[in-house]
Amino acid sequence: MSKSKKNITRVHIKGSLQEVWEALTKQGEPLPFFFGSVMHTTGLHSGAQIRMRTDCGKYTGVVGEILEVDPPHKFSHTFKFTHVDDPPCKVTYELREVDGGVEFTLISEDMPPDSRTEKDMVGGAQIITASLKGLIEDGRPPLKSRFINFMCKLTKFMTPAKCLTGNTPMD
Amino acid sequence: MDDTMDGVFLALGHSARRKIVDIVKSMPGCSVNDVTKYFEMSRIGVLKHLNVLEKAEMIVSRKKGRVRELYLNAAPIQLIYDRWTSEYAAFWASKAVDLKYRIEGVKK
Repeated sequence: MSKSKKNITRVHIKGSLQEVWEALTKQGEPLPFFFGSVMHTTGLHSGAQIRMRTDCGKYTGVVGEILEVDPPHKFSHTFKFTHVDDPPCKVTYELREVDGGVEFTLISEDMPPDSRTEKDMVGGAQIITASLKGLIEDGRPPLKSRFINFMCKLTKFMTPAKCLTGNTPMD
Repeated sequence: MDDTMDGVFLALGHSARRKIVDIVKSMPGCSVNDVTKYFEMSRIGVLKHLNVLEKAEMIVSRKKGRVRELYLNAAPIQLIYDRWTSEYAAFWASKAVDLKYRIEGVKK
């Protein structure tokens, strides 16, 4: 039995599989459910590199490698925060069509126990799932997520230099 | 949304099920057997309560080989929280709850 190395967060979203998949894998524009970050990849396939960057491109919050893409059901990649020195963990998004919508499951695993990464992944998962649900069902994320995204923008100037995009270029 | 919430309130309306949630939260990935050890009731009794929790999606299970791993899904409670709590109310409510814990000497 592992000690808090894996976290599962699940919500039901009233929408189509395709709609949720497209919102989840959208590139080139800020993702309202992911703190307003923009997803950059070298391709949506296993082995490709993935980065979550601020909308201006100056900072990169997350780096990783894509492990599995099975549209519109599964998307998985390694996940490393640039602001801490923890090793990468793994995130998997699973989409399943159910009566009345989509069962959306976010699994975070391989997090070092009691690490900053674990804390941020567990807290982040709740915000991401609730925001994605709001985005699909109401056309925009809930007020709380918008508030968080606003605060992220406001405090961008406090981002540590180790998160500068130049430190984690893509091949 | 209300159907989901009915399930969550029903699930939390029993002390044994609240205890199961506490156990699974402290041991993510634990098995049904691990949970049963904390109760005097039979495994079947625990399974019945687990079913209610799974229906409400407060507990999510994943099959790993022949064992069912149990995880706490915090999203349903988060959605209830979001429905009735604004940012400012959350701030003051949390201060009040902190004070309560401090006075009562409860460790969070």
